[in-house]
Amino acid sequence: MGYKITKKENLSAIDFFMEVEAPHIAKSWKVGQFVVLIVDEKGERVPMSVYYADRENGRIGMFIRRHGVTTFKLWYEKKVGDEILSIAGPLGKPIEVKHYGNVVFAADAVCAQAEAYATLKAMKEAGNYTIAIHSFENKANTYPEEYLAKPVADEFYITTEDGSVGRKGHYLDILKELIEQDKVDIVFAGGKLGSLKKLAELTRPYGIPTIVTVRQIMVDGTGMCGSCRVLYDGEIKFACRDGPMMDAHKIDWDDAIKRNARFAEQENLREKDTLLN
Amino acid sequence: MAGPKLIKERVPTPEVPVEERVKSFVEVNLGYDFVSAVKEAERCLQCNPAPCIQGCPVHINIPGFIKALRENAESPEEAVKNALRIIWDDNTLPAITGRVCPQEEQCEAPCVMGKAGEPINIGKLERFVADYARKHGIEKELLKEFTSTENGVKGKVAVVGSGPAGLTCAGELAKMGYKVTIFEALHKPGGVLVYGIPEFRLPKEILDREIAKLKELGVEIKLDHIVGKTVTLEELLEEYDAVFIGTGAGTPKLLNIPGILLDRIYTSNEFLTRINLMKAYKFPEYDEPISIGKKTIVIGAGNTAMDAARSALRMGSEVTIAYRRGREDMTARIEEIKHAEEEGVKFEFFLNPVEFIGDENGKVKAVKFEKMRPLEERDAKGKRKIVGTGEYITLEADTVIIAIGLEPNKIISEEATGLKTNPDGTLVVDENLMTSIPGVFAGGDAIRGEATVILAMGDGKKAAKAIDEYIQKKRLPA
Ligand SMILES: Cc1cc2nc3c(=O)[nH]c(=O)nc-3n(C[C@H](O)[C@H](O)[C@H](O)COP(=O)(O)OP(=O)(O)OC[C@H]3O[C@@H](n4cnc5c(N)ncnc54)[C@H](O)[C@@H]3O)c2cc1C
Ligand SMILES: Cc1cc2nc3c(=O)[nH]c(=O)nc-3n(C[C@H](O)[C@H](O)[C@H](O)COP(=O)(O)OP(=O)(O)OC[C@H]3O[C@@H](n4cnc5c(N)ncnc54)[C@H](O)[C@@H]3O)c2cc1C
Ligand code: SF4
Ligand code: SF4
Ligand code: FES
Repeated sequence: MGYKITKKENLSAIDFFMEVEAPHIAKSWKVGQFVVLIVDEKGERVPMSVYYADRENGRIGMFIRRHGVTTFKLWYEKKVGDEILSIAGPLGKPIEVKHYGNVVFAADAVCAQAEAYATLKAMKEAGNYTIAIHSFENKANTYPEEYLAKPVADEFYITTEDGSVGRKGHYLDILKELIEQDKVDIVFAGGKLGSLKKLAELTRPYGIPTIVTVRQIMVDGTGMCGSCRVLYDGEIKFACRDGPMMDAHKIDWDDAIKRNARFAEQENLREKDTLLN
Repeated sequence: MAGPKLIKERVPTPEVPVEERVKSFVEVNLGYDFVSAVKEAERCLQCNPAPCIQGCPVHINIPGFIKALRENAESPEEAVKNALRIIWDDNTLPAITGRVCPQEEQCEAPCVMGKAGEPINIGKLERFVADYARKHGIEKELLKEFTSTENGVKGKVAVVGSGPAGLTCAGELAKMGYKVTIFEALHKPGGVLVYGIPEFRLPKEILDREIAKLKELGVEIKLDHIVGKTVTLEELLEEYDAVFIGTGAGTPKLLNIPGILLDRIYTSNEFLTRINLMKAYKFPEYDEPISIGKKTIVIGAGNTAMDAARSALRMGSEVTIAYRRGREDMTARIEEIKHAEEEGVKFEFFLNPVEFIGDENGKVKAVKFEKMRPLEERDAKGKRKIVGTGEYITLEADTVIIAIGLEPNKIISEEATGLKTNPDGTLVVDENLMTSIPGVFAGGDAIRGEATVILAMGDGKKAAKAIDEYIQKKRLPA
């Protein structure tokens, strides 16, 4: 049995949006959880964040980066109406949706751009003041506004590194200002691990709770393989089972960053292969 | 005493030569053909009472099936059919157990022939019966005899997990006339049989056939469903008359020692899953990557360690198994240890890892061990206790596989708070395998911790009976 692709839309020079039929996941997904998909018989298990879960129609939306084999196949080979082999979820622990006060969601890569809307929507419904910060490298990588968290954000920022869209800079710069104005009660964030490490350092002295997506290389996503292990408060935790949203202040970031680059050599080899064939 | 001459030696089974098998994932042991199987069957003394039956955890009528096999030597089809009928009374997956049971500790351990010479090769005979029956369409015919005509009318049961426990429970219930739905977290059914045990021990086509058999019995399999996440236990109880939990012991134990996060340190589960389930050994034809160096150290000495070691060897690495206890304490099947040695896996004993040492790129380059010493005193499992000597040794390795054990995955028990667990994470069950939630039963590694395929199957079968009784009792007017 496969799962039908129901929508596909380009988002930017590197990312796209895809919706698939997955009623089993749509009905049970909660903010903070992810899914694992397999494109075809020869595919690997690839974790993905969820942009939305449409319970009524039994579909889930995702933002996907054209990254390597799987995501290339999804963008270049699979058409709307085609099927993917497998999609499992929801996996991981949901985040706690409640009244915190001022809630920031900061994103600087595809997985977090996907999570921003649903997270802030839930937070707003729980009575929070919501602040969205979407960071992109440049104009070519920036998404159309309708895919961002603007409708559910009381305050909304876009940044680019070159200033071609929105403010020049990064979410870290905006956050610094907001913290100085004493406007931040909790930060949710995801994206580049290097930024998350800096974010942890930024909020730590102020004691601002900082909950982030710990993106690690995964196989099963259910706690069965240990591939996604991280050091958390000195203990081994599995990002898929104990996360993926975890306290940024407790993660050993240097090791997490190294582990996430584990298969770089093979993937380069394969990409060359794909290009040559 | 006059009588048939005792034949002390087993009729051998051919194996793929070492040079060939270390380069591929083809099955190592080729099994008996009919003539050699009958010859081996003729060695059996037909003991009464037969101690072999007591040695088998599901009490297969071993002399019975052996007799059926040799009695009808002129008609192989009849012989095999009769033998399979007897085996199926207690074990519906003989092609699998014949291959993976630790026979030397179970059915073959008390075999009377073992006192005079080599015990009867019960495992290989069982495997022969199953393989022959499958190849010659005998299995299909027999399946009809075992199937109830009341298909789907007796009630609805949900089975969680598709390892040997779940598959057996589902099969038994379907045969009794229940509508069964299996919920499996992964994208392929089979549990450890598909993601753990490699091709060269258990070809996947055998498992595929077992799954097809279940489907013929009307069992539905929902893949990509994680119970506790995709659907809750409570929701299952609303829809089904009873639930069986066979979620296994899939969470790897890790060593909390310095360097555990280094690259190229795998758990056996990650390593074997990448290779078996995702076919990383066929990368880049398959998309799954795996990174293996030239010198692999495997830590542990169970079946999992042997499987990981022999897989790494086939991927082109030199492999050393390092175990903190001694040779006689290894828990793997004897056949696996023998095959590993033949294939060139090296063994180091009384070494306990204390640190993983990395290079400047964050990849492991060596393992530091403390040398251990055995004591006379034995632990609860009957193994000699060991103590550190304060002496250390460092072995070079660019790949490490940790195979020191597994424990139950807590996804279900964390979500269904009414489900009582023991301190080691296993589910609490009563003598009928019912958990602390009425109507919810469990078996296999989920209640035993790491055990065996046949024990998981035995539980699946026992639970199916208990579930049938439970549902029928519930149906009776009060
Ligand atoms: C919790 C979580 C949520 C994620 N959400 C998204 C998302 O919403 N959108 C998105 O585009 N990507 C997301 N990712 C990352 C995505 O899973 C990987 O980029 C994906 O594996 C790429 O597959 P590929 O075959 O196209 O590329 P590959 O050629 O396989 O790899 C490209 C790069 O991706 C990384 N990678 C490879 N395999 C994995 C793996 N199994 N898990 C994690 N990283 C891997 C490697 O570091 C590699 O450099 C998420 C990852 C995690 C862990
Ligand atoms: C590498 C290895 C080699 C082995 N070799 C041998 C051997 O030679 N001989 C032997 O007798 N035993 C061997 N064993 C042990 C044996 O495989 C297990 O005892 C047996 O598989 C247990 O069966 P089970 O059905 O209880 O669980 P498993 O086989 O573990 O199956 C459990 C299934 O449940 C699924 N699951 C888990 N949680 C959920 C959930 N929440 N929702 C849905 N599905 C879920 C899992 O994905 C899995 O498919 C070996 C084990 C390993 C790991
Ligand atoms: S099921 Fe296992 S223990 Fe029982 S007879 Fe068969 S091989 Fe022996
Ligand atoms: S104990 Fe051995 S010899 Fe006796 S019946 Fe069993 S298999 Fe045959
Ligand atoms: S991905 Fe396997 S344990 Fe997390």
